[in-house]
Parts: sequence; C-alpha cells; structure tokens
Amino acid sequence: MSTTETKTDTELAAHTSAEARFQYYVAQNVPLLLSIGILIAMVMIYLILFVLTQHHLPGNFEFSTTLNNTMTVGLAAIGQTLVVLTGGIDLSVGGIVDVTNSLAAQMMHDSPGSMLEITLLVLLVGAGAGFINGILVAYGRLQPIIVTIATLAIWQGVALLILPQQGGFIPTGFTNLLAGNIRVLGNLPSSLIIFILLILLWQVLRRTRFLVTLYAIGNDERAARANGAPVMLAKVGAYTVGGIFSGLAGLYLAAVATSGDATSGTPLTLTSIAAVVLGGVSLFGGRGSAIGSLMGAAILTLILSVLFFAGVNPQLQEFFQGLFLILAVIASTLVRPLLQSGR
Amino acid sequence: MSAERRSLLPTLRRLSHSQRGTLLAYVAIIVLFVIGGIYRPSFVRPDNIGLLLLLASFIGLVAAGQTFVILIGGIDLSVPWVLNALAVLLTTASLGQNSRAWWVVPLVLIVGIVIGMVNGLGIVLFDIPPVVMTLGMNGVMQGLVLGFTGGFTCPSCNSLAPPVVQGAITGQVLGIPTGLLVWIVIAIIVGLVLGFTTLGRRIYAIGNNAIAAYLAGVNVRLVTIIVYAISGLFAAIAGIALTAFGQQATLGMGDPYLFDSIAAVVIGGASILGGRGNYWGTIAGAIFLVVLRAVLQEYDISEAARSIASGVVILVALLLYGREARDV
Repeated sequence: MSTTETKTDTELAAHTSAEARFQYYVAQNVPLLLSIGILIAMVMIYLILFVLTQHHLPGNFEFSTTLNNTMTVGLAAIGQTLVVLTGGIDLSVGGIVDVTNSLAAQMMHDSPGSMLEITLLVLLVGAGAGFINGILVAYGRLQPIIVTIATLAIWQGVALLILPQQGGFIPTGFTNLLAGNIRVLGNLPSSLIIFILLILLWQVLRRTRFLVTLYAIGNDERAARANGAPVMLAKVGAYTVGGIFSGLAGLYLAAVATSGDATSGTPLTLTSIAAVVLGGVSLFGGRGSAIGSLMGAAILTLILSVLFFAGVNPQLQEFFQGLFLILAVIASTLVRPLLQSGR
Repeated sequence: MSAERRSLLPTLRRLSHSQRGTLLAYVAIIVLFVIGGIYRPSFVRPDNIGLLLLLASFIGLVAAGQTFVILIGGIDLSVPWVLNALAVLLTTASLGQNSRAWWVVPLVLIVGIVIGMVNGLGIVLFDIPPVVMTLGMNGVMQGLVLGFTGGFTCPSCNSLAPPVVQGAITGQVLGIPTGLLVWIVIAIIVGLVLGFTTLGRRIYAIGNNAIAAYLAGVNVRLVTIIVYAISGLFAAIAGIALTAFGQQATLGMGDPYLFDSIAAVVIGGASILGGRGNYWGTIAGAIFLVVLRAVLQEYDISEAARSIASGVVILVALLLYGREARDV
C-alpha cells in the first residue's frame, strides 16, 4: 500500500500534466466522487419520477422543502463527521438535537434580541454537551460509542424535562430567516445559502491546524501523538464543535417544524451516521469530508421523495433507507478497487 | 491498616478489571434492594423481587446476544426491530392458537438466526462496519414490520401469543416465575459456551486480537457469522418472552432494549472493545438497570429523570472500571 502511494507521488512529480493531476485527484477522492455520483443519480431519478407523476417540473417549493429537510440532517451529519474523522462515533447527536430543539421552542420570543439570545444559548448548550463527551473520551479514556450512548440517555431525559409535551413556539420571522426564501437574492431558499456557506466554511476549516490534527488522529493516533500533535485537545475540540453543529441541527429542526418536540431529534443519531457513511467518510477515521456528509444527507432526503413519487407504500420507508445504506456501502467496497487499479 | 483490610485488598487486586466490575454490579444490586426496602418494605418481598428479576430477564436475554457480539469487538444495533419483527411473526403466524405453536416457535427462532447470519455475512463478506450493517438491518426490519402489517392495522396483528407460550413465561413453579427459570437455564448454557467450549475460547481470542487469532488458525469469519447468528437467536427468544409476558406484540416494543442490552453488558464489566467480560457480569448489569429504575420509581422520580439517572450510572460504572490503559 505504501509503495503504491510513493509511486503515485513520484509519478505526479515527474509529469504534472492536467491529466495526471486529475487521475491523482480521482484516486484520492473515490468515496466523495462516488457519493456525488449517487446524488446525481438520485436527482435524475427524482426529476423523472416527478415529471411522470406531476406532469410539470418541480418548482421552488419542492426545491426549498428538499433542501430544508436536507439541512437538518446535514448539520447533524457535519457534527458527526468531525467525531468520525477521529475514529470515534457520537450517538448522542439525537439527544443534543432534542435538547436544543426543546430549548428553542420553549424559550424563543418574537423579537430579534430573543432570537439572537436563544441562538447563542443553543450554540453554548451544544458546545457544552459535546465538551462533556470529549472530556470523557479523551481524558476519561473511555470508548466513544459507550460514552455517547450514556450521554444520549441523559440528554433525552433533559429534553423531556425542558419540554414535557410537544409544542412550544417558534416565531414566524425566525422560520422565514432559516427555512424561508430570501427576496433580495431572487427568492432563493435561505437553506441553499446556508448549504453553500457550510461548504465554503468546510473548505476553510479543513485547512486549519485543528482539522489536520483530526485527520492525523484518525489515521494513526499514536503517530500523531509522537509527532507532538495535541491529540487530547483536538479530540475534545472535535466533540465540542460536533456538539455545536448538533445544536444548530436542533435549532434548524425547530425552525422548520415551527414548534418543538423533545423526541423528534432522536432519529437524527442514526440518520447522521447514515449520511456520513453515504458521504464516503470512513468510520475507521482519517478519511472523508463534511461535503461528502452533506451529499449523504441530500441523498437520504431524496430517497424519501423518490419513494413517495414512485408510489411505494410509505410504511416501507425505513426498509428502503436501511437497504440503501447497506447496498451503498457494499457498492463502495466493490467499486473502490476497480477505480484504484487504474493508477 | 487493619488486619481485615489487609486480607481483603490483595484478593480484590488479583481480580481483573472486568471481574471487579461484575463484583461491584452485584454489590450495587444489593445496596439498591436495601434502599428500596427501607423506603417501602414490600419492595423486598419475594413476589416483587421475582417480578423485577423477570423484567430483568428480558434485558438479560437480549444482552446475552449482545455479550457474544461485544466480546468479539462488534456491536448489534439491529436488536430493537429484529426483536419486534419476530414478536409480530409469533403472534400473526400463530393467531394465538396452541395448535400452531409447535411450528411457529421454531420458525421464529430460525428466522432470528437467519437475520443474524445476514448481519454477519454482510460484515464478513463486504467489510461493512458492524455499526452500519446492523443499523441498516434495523431499518430494514422496521420497514418490513410496518409494510407487511400495514402500519399494524392487519386483522391478525391483534392476535395474542399462544397460551402455551404465555404459560412458559408467566407460569409459576414453587413461587418462581417460569420465565425466570428459562433465563437461569439459558444463563448456564451461555456461561458454559463462553467458558468451556472452543467456540468460547475463539470468541475471546478474536476480541483480544483478531489478527493473532487468525494466525493461530481461528476461522475468524465463521466465528463472526456464528456470533451474529447467536445475537439474532437471542433477539428471537427475547421477542417470544416479551410477547408472552405482555400477551401481544406492539410496535416499538423492542426500542428500549438497544440501550439496555449494551448498558447491561458494559455495567457488567465487559470491554466494548471485545475480549474482556462474561455473561455473569451482563446478568448483574441487567438486574441492576431494572432494580435502579424500580427504586427511582418508588421515590416518585419522573421518567425523564430516570433516563438521566441511567445515563449517569453508566458513566460512573465506566469511570470506575471501564477506563483504558494510558497509551504511550
């Protein structure tokens, strides 16, 4: 494996033609490209089915609904990605979403000051929840899967204490801001703007020392430590920033639903992991990007629409989602050697 | 240092991490019974203890499969809906008739084994991480249950478990619930398999170091498939037992058992990384979870707070004996 790596590097140095560079990029990003391919295929299938059943092209409403649903999963999936990059896993994502979702619905008033205040509070709560996970994993030397399954139970309980019955209230202004359309930009859905901003944010973030350290930890924690990387701090950071994104997912979920529910976030633990896997992020750590996870989130959302327009019994949703998850992973294991043997 | 402590401490030190965990879990159970008994003496009456142990047996059965899987370093997240699907299969195929029970019960067990084998095959043949494979399987089973029963609106969905099956779990022998006796028999079998068979040795070998086990001639793939099949089998047994106890299958009946089965294994002192732990610890973990919640209920503590308490207890148990050695 290492010999082929170095060979590619020397080849790259020898002739840096555009073609060679392209081949190198493809070989390095097989999983991401695969998920983009699946996403494009899903979009095509969706469009065909939509036109066949509705006899017109999907409009702005369909576009923004799909994106809004993608964003909730996508935000949680970015948080999950940061943790998975270190080789960990965060099962408490759903619990953190529950808490922030309940908090926002219970406390937000219809004034800009309150919206800002609650948004900051949600960020703080998400960060705090992630920080606790991170401390327990890094300094407590405990396994991530079991730490976060315990904190999941804790946050689910806390969410029920905050909002015992579903309800609460999210001001319309806040919903319009996050999940509506922006007039000045030609009625583009604000979720599209957030989507693009998140991709740009990731492009910046992944070049920072923090993210490079996370990749290093995921590839070989001992080597990272031996090279003086602040492994412990970076791990705590990964869970903390992951918690912030989970918190944002809860806030976004509240905005889309215009009310709160202390249990509606729970499925996001599983969908965030599914999105990460579909996005080509390795669960063993060190490989993948949040952009892939966003693609994964979009794929998961589109599957539901495709099933709906294909007239599939909605009760079989979970069946197809589960089957698709397994088949996608099998496909990526089967396709990867084929694509990489060319180099 | 007193003479008593001097004799006790070395014995405790000789115990491994996971043995200390198991011991602590049993001590904690006794402490909980004392606390519950002080508040309300009827809490420690034999019939209440029998009921609590019967409730623990459902967690214990699911957790038996989870113990096997966790011992090789895997995890089975498909438990909730595999259990639920098999419970529904039991009631809809038997239609509550004793005359059908003789073939339905074996059928349910076999389907459980097959589902578990599919999990194992996916993990072994396609290198799918266990988390993803079993997560996907959970969704598949959930979809199948909802789809085939039309969202649980089918006429046969309300069938009861056959009276024979109900009797096997809720009957009493000398004041002991028969479900508890079933659990005891199964516990002995699991204990023997893990402790005294080559399969058991191989499971621990894989959990400690899969590559070393492979080089030593262990058929890692085969054992992995067997282990997941066992987990499917126990999900089936637990599904049957739960349906017999509650008379009917319901949607979502398996949901609490994912958290509880993993928690029971971990509280019992097993390492989530595999290779360390045993079923006696898991039994303690299962009983502990049930008794803890019962005590909290005695003190009128809300469901939300009980959930928080369960989470905190796991963290405390982990910090006490689940910490890994400091890496170089």
